[in-house]
Amino acid sequence: MTWLSKIRKVPFWSWFWFVLGVLYFVLPLYATLDFSLRMERDTISLKAYQSAFSDPEFLKTFLYSIFLAAMTIVVSIALVVPTAYWIRLRLPQARRIVEFITLMPFVVPAIILVFGLIRIYSSPFTIPFTSIVLMQPLTNFKVGTNILIIGGYTVLGLPYMYRSVDTGMRTVDVRTLTEAAQSMGANWGTIITKIILPNVRTALLSGALLTFAIVVGEVVLASFLGIPAFGPYLFLLGQHRAYEPAALAFTTFLLTWAAMGIIQLVTGGQSQAAGAH
Amino acid sequence: MAYLELKNISKIFGKTTAVEDFNLQVNKGELVSFLGPSGCGKTTTLRMVAGFEIPTGGKIIIDGKDVTNKSPNQRDVGMIFQSYALFPNLTVAGNVGFGLKIAKKPAEEIKKRVVEMLDLIHMPEYGNRYPYQLSGGQQQRVALARALALSPDVLLLDEPLSALDAKIRVSLRAEIRAIQQELGITAIYVTHDQEEALSISDRIVVMYNGHIEQIGTPFQVYNFPETAFVASFIGTLNAFNAEIIDPKTNSIQIGSVQLVTEESIQDRKVGDKLMIAIRPERLSFSSEQKKANIINCQIENITFLGSIVRIEVKTGDTHFFMDTFNNPFLELPKIGETVEITCSRQAVIILNH
Amino acid sequence: MVTTTLPAQKDKKLPTSWKNWIGVIPFFIFAILFLLLPSIRLFVGSFTTEGGKFTLDNMAQLFSQRVILDAYKISIQISAITALAGGIFGFMLAYAITVGGLPKPLRTALITFSGVASNFAGVPLAFAFVATLGRTGFITAIMKTYFNMNIYDKGFNLYSFIGLCLTYLYFQFPLMVLIMAPALDGLKKEWKEAAMNLGANNMQYWLKVALPVLLPSILGSMILLFGNAFGAYATAYALTGGALPIVTILIGAQIRGDVLHNPGLGFAMAMGMVVIMAVSLGGYSWLQSRTERWLK
Repeated sequence: MTWLSKIRKVPFWSWFWFVLGVLYFVLPLYATLDFSLRMERDTISLKAYQSAFSDPEFLKTFLYSIFLAAMTIVVSIALVVPTAYWIRLRLPQARRIVEFITLMPFVVPAIILVFGLIRIYSSPFTIPFTSIVLMQPLTNFKVGTNILIIGGYTVLGLPYMYRSVDTGMRTVDVRTLTEAAQSMGANWGTIITKIILPNVRTALLSGALLTFAIVVGEVVLASFLGIPAFGPYLFLLGQHRAYEPAALAFTTFLLTWAAMGIIQLVTGGQSQAAGAH
Repeated sequence: MAYLELKNISKIFGKTTAVEDFNLQVNKGELVSFLGPSGCGKTTTLRMVAGFEIPTGGKIIIDGKDVTNKSPNQRDVGMIFQSYALFPNLTVAGNVGFGLKIAKKPAEEIKKRVVEMLDLIHMPEYGNRYPYQLSGGQQQRVALARALALSPDVLLLDEPLSALDAKIRVSLRAEIRAIQQELGITAIYVTHDQEEALSISDRIVVMYNGHIEQIGTPFQVYNFPETAFVASFIGTLNAFNAEIIDPKTNSIQIGSVQLVTEESIQDRKVGDKLMIAIRPERLSFSSEQKKANIINCQIENITFLGSIVRIEVKTGDTHFFMDTFNNPFLELPKIGETVEITCSRQAVIILNH
Repeated sequence: MVTTTLPAQKDKKLPTSWKNWIGVIPFFIFAILFLLLPSIRLFVGSFTTEGGKFTLDNMAQLFSQRVILDAYKISIQISAITALAGGIFGFMLAYAITVGGLPKPLRTALITFSGVASNFAGVPLAFAFVATLGRTGFITAIMKTYFNMNIYDKGFNLYSFIGLCLTYLYFQFPLMVLIMAPALDGLKKEWKEAAMNLGANNMQYWLKVALPVLLPSILGSMILLFGNAFGAYATAYALTGGALPIVTILIGAQIRGDVLHNPGLGFAMAMGMVVIMAVSLGGYSWLQSRTERWLK
């Protein structure tokens, strides 16, 4: 069938809505790109990008955010994989509770979470009804604050990481795999490293990429906890400059697209939405 | 005059020919099965009768009216799907009355008809249930009631029992046949299960690769297959390549075995190649009764199938199967023993015509 | 030929000894530290006066204080509007790429893009819309040059309620697409054929079968969209700088400095928001389970 006849086969309205959707998606991105290329008067140039990337603050905050993302991913995986595995194998009764917990971040959005985190951890830990101090507020220490934000980020990414890993384990049927391995004499170490982890690689990658996207762009937790991350930097930049923020915004878009694209490729079509922040 | 007629029906998808040269005349009240393996074109042909596919060539005529180009909602045919396709948001009563509601019939009439139909399928108390509360067999019965509520000219069934358990399949197919005969409704039944087709059809259309292989009653199609495919598809069969020894006496040779057949091969030459078939149940031990053909062979294997015992025998390089009724008091020969088996001339069927 | 027997699985009753709970302890500790404790702090705080005593006063003030009521009103309006508009637009798009028959590559592209767009909220999104509809934005310029219309003179302002709605839509309708596309796929082809076989035309099929079957999913998704918009902070702050007093912005201000002059009230607001989000999520879950029952 020729292209034209294929197009005619599809009803008009399908094309109408599709084109409308594409316009809505693309225009703001195009506008951002266009704006970011116009830093030099009357010409198209990459000056905004040069300026943005050469700012030492940019590198500092961006690398710091990447560091936070990496830490968050490690903590997430260390937390989620054993738990998901354990539940599948030994404790199906806990499934409901754990799934409920992984849904909590939807009910407790970032702004509320940071509210609670600050109020709890910026005052000293005392034994109730006494004035015995157990620990100074976490926020007094840099390490303490880092722990706080990584914990907070892990919470934000929890629904996606857990769902991704859980689905991956279900698809691969870790239970049967484990029993088969055990019946052939493998010990736990071998089972985890040689059987389980390789098979949930895809799910881990997917969850990790999503977490990465969430963390690098995150602004709420970072700014309220006073962390020098990329989000607050970008926001501040927007107050003072015009072209560089546009350049960085477009770059962020490309990064997000790359991450999502990899996830699509790797999982073959099941994507997850992170929702608003 | 035939009630339903398919004239020269063909269907081509891009480069693939799904159906070709399909001619069939169905009488009123007949149940005709389309039988064949996956991909033979039976479902495609059924869908053309229903209107979900438009034939590339040919005509479909129902009760004198040419419906070839009519859209599905303008034809008076009822369709039963393999996956039941009950509307999940409607109750059983809602489903059964759906067609009547679309036809804007008065509420009273719809109610009455729904009750009638539910009685017909023996599910009178189920009006308020939802499909997800029913078993597969129940859902299919409701689908049947839904299609019949509109009193269609033709009933079309697309492998209606394939998704069900074996036991339900047997009871439900009898029920479908009973209802079809009670209402006297013309029906086309698509299936790949030859036992199903044999047990309920008035006639069977055996299909292969988009073509009709043979049309006949179950008896005809089983006992007098006209092509190698029909013979092998229906029932078990021993099929052989044979050579003609003497056309005048109808003698042929398979390997080292000489047989005579009933059919005339006078017009052929010595040395001509043939395909012949012998049904396993037509072979027997010659100790019971000697018939025209006698074969000395060795027992290779004995399989107990319940009511039938299937014995595999070998003579020279030729293997074949023999079926004999199970008899707990009859001693069967042992594996490795030599026996004499026999069959009549009529049992040797010639396949290529 | 070697035969292996696996231990019988389904019939074995799992030992319910406490040892089995060891494996999930780290997870629970984490949840307690970073989720439960903060939530409890907020919960308890909302019932506490500044002096530390129990009170229901904060809760009462949620419904009486002008500032708070206005904030909830605006938040609910924005969330409802973007949920409805995003829901309808998203549904039509999802329809176009599934039942509507658009070629497969376009569907894949749209789904990927929806994944990107629904994750693109926050500061970059605000910047993108400023570049599009701001005073010197792309569209603003086009309207001026080609249509001789200055939209800002006509009263449009990106940094306002309507501007925020348009910006929110950017991640709302992709979310709808991502949820509805699989739901639309779940519509069995046979239903349409059965309906046509029984005499219905396309419109009747949609009105009597397809839409009713999809309705729980559509409603549930819109409720989710509502919650999604309600909880958004970064986009709103980056775009309007806190000028538009929605609930999240107000809570943010409260965290930085006690603008309400009553910490307990801040906690109460947070709790109020949690309740709304919980109801939203609960509604979505319940409606999804009803859809699943039908689309099995």
